[in-house]
Amino acid sequence: MTATSTLPTPAPVKAGTPGRPGLGATIRWELRKLRAQHRTKAVLLGALLGPVPIALVIHAQGRPPKDTLFGRYATTNGFALSLLILGFAAQWVLPLLTAVVAGDIFSSEDTHGTWKTVLTRSASRAQLFTAKTVTAVGFAVLTLLVLSASTIASSVLVGGHQALTGLGGQLIAPSTALKLVGASWLTTIPPTIGFACLAILLSVWSRSSAVGIAAPVVIGMVMQLVGAMGGVEALRPFLLTSPYEAWHGLLSAPRFTGPLVEGLITSGVWVAVTLAVSFALLRRRDITGG
Amino acid sequence: MTTQLAVDAVGVTKAFGQVRAVDDVTIQVAPGEVYGVLGPNGAGKTTFLRMLFGLIRPDAGTIRVFDKSWDTDGVGVLDGVAGFIESPGFYPYLTGRQNLEGLALLDGGARAGLVEEVLEVVDLTDRADRKVGGYSYGMRQRLGVAASLLREPRLLVLDEPANGLDPAGIRDMRALVKRLAASGLTVLLSSHNMDEVEEICDNVTIMNRGGVAYHGSITDLRAMAPDPGHLLHTNDNAGARALAADHPGVEVEPAEDGLTVVGQEAAVAAYVADVVRSGIVLRVFTPTRTPLEALFFMLTDQEVAA
Repeated sequence: MTATSTLPTPAPVKAGTPGRPGLGATIRWELRKLRAQHRTKAVLLGALLGPVPIALVIHAQGRPPKDTLFGRYATTNGFALSLLILGFAAQWVLPLLTAVVAGDIFSSEDTHGTWKTVLTRSASRAQLFTAKTVTAVGFAVLTLLVLSASTIASSVLVGGHQALTGLGGQLIAPSTALKLVGASWLTTIPPTIGFACLAILLSVWSRSSAVGIAAPVVIGMVMQLVGAMGGVEALRPFLLTSPYEAWHGLLSAPRFTGPLVEGLITSGVWVAVTLAVSFALLRRRDITGG
Repeated sequence: MTTQLAVDAVGVTKAFGQVRAVDDVTIQVAPGEVYGVLGPNGAGKTTFLRMLFGLIRPDAGTIRVFDKSWDTDGVGVLDGVAGFIESPGFYPYLTGRQNLEGLALLDGGARAGLVEEVLEVVDLTDRADRKVGGYSYGMRQRLGVAASLLREPRLLVLDEPANGLDPAGIRDMRALVKRLAASGLTVLLSSHNMDEVEEICDNVTIMNRGGVAYHGSITDLRAMAPDPGHLLHTNDNAGARALAADHPGVEVEPAEDGLTVVGQEAAVAAYVADVVRSGIVLRVFTPTRTPLEALFFMLTDQEVAA
């Protein structure tokens, strides 16, 4: 309202009762906000284009990284190259790409002071929690799918689609190799959802986007370190990073799927616990600030 | 038949650690009323309004809005209620219109044309497609009112709506609230400004340190108010003060910038006329506080300048 502003006379207000939003409407609102943010586009663009230079650089190496899983064949075989990138991505790239949205989706309401705006409408805390969680998890899966497709396509284009030498030394025909490589990438969906939910918990608890985004990556690296240490076999099934290695069984001879089932259970437990704690924190919270 | 109250808050208490932010507060607002909650910063006004909106849970007491409570009706309490707490929060990367459209989604959708209507009411139509990140404070306040009107409320709750606005903005915001009240809305308005409440409200609760210092009508409050105070500065303050002996209805005391003169309007006018007649030159004669302001300061234990 400036000195020059002239307010029109408002029409008589018709007192009505706002309707209850369905979950779909609440999710649409979250998606609308997500679409308007530059970093969302940057993450998706990074997932789409990032694998191309990585595949080119690895393929151009004179000496292949023989000590790494599938590294020996990474410069001569596109399927091996995409699996090498998968192993690398699982260490910190997937938790990071996931956390960019999941670690911010709750705490950004604190940053912008909008909790009091959205919680004084007709949506309950449970509805908002569900919508944000569905959106964050959906974005994590979408990013993973884009990254997978881009990595496999660029690796095969750069490195070729010859028969793949499996972990048991067996030769896998190109058509089977493509399916197995795709399936290997898809096995990372459950732990990625687990990391998304961990980022949600940290975002709700800390009310800080920096913590929500960075902490899952750090926690993931610590888990990798713990998992690599000797004498922690009993602990390994509980680590959220263990399911990221479950795909090894698909490329072995004979194939085994035990780690996939274990990984599914581990991821499920992480999802259930982190979401339960997150919701309890949000439901009980007094909104004294934003 | 009893009239359903718009707000029926009884014995509401909230403590944060050892601090009782709101202490046994009872506020009842009838439909169609324009009700003020007045108090200095930290009096507990905003905490009370946050409890009304369900943002904070009270430790004790009950809050019913149009006969609904959070315990039994959940978010249904907010049916017919809208407003904002402190400065309204919006998403800076969305335009004003996108913010309103999104918030309408959280209300189950708005009827066709309503977003345009409320933008027009708050005079933001031509700036609706700019990102809120570029809005001034006053524009955000007005967008806050627009977002509230989007709910077509029966009860409008505004927490210090004129806070941070320039004088023209304050004038326009008060005019807007008065017009909305005239259209039949019940308005619950918090402020730390006595003038604002006096100008807009019918009834008032004055809060201080979490408790209720006064509760009643503005008319009754005026009757309790002390005499108005003025600052007088002349070329001979000692002489002017000596003249007060002939005016028993006027108290004149030395002050940092001259003299404070307290008394009924007619008595003060007669005293000042006497000062002028005596040949003393008046340099400053200005009111320092309205009677209601003086009473507000007394009720809230604040230091009074004059």
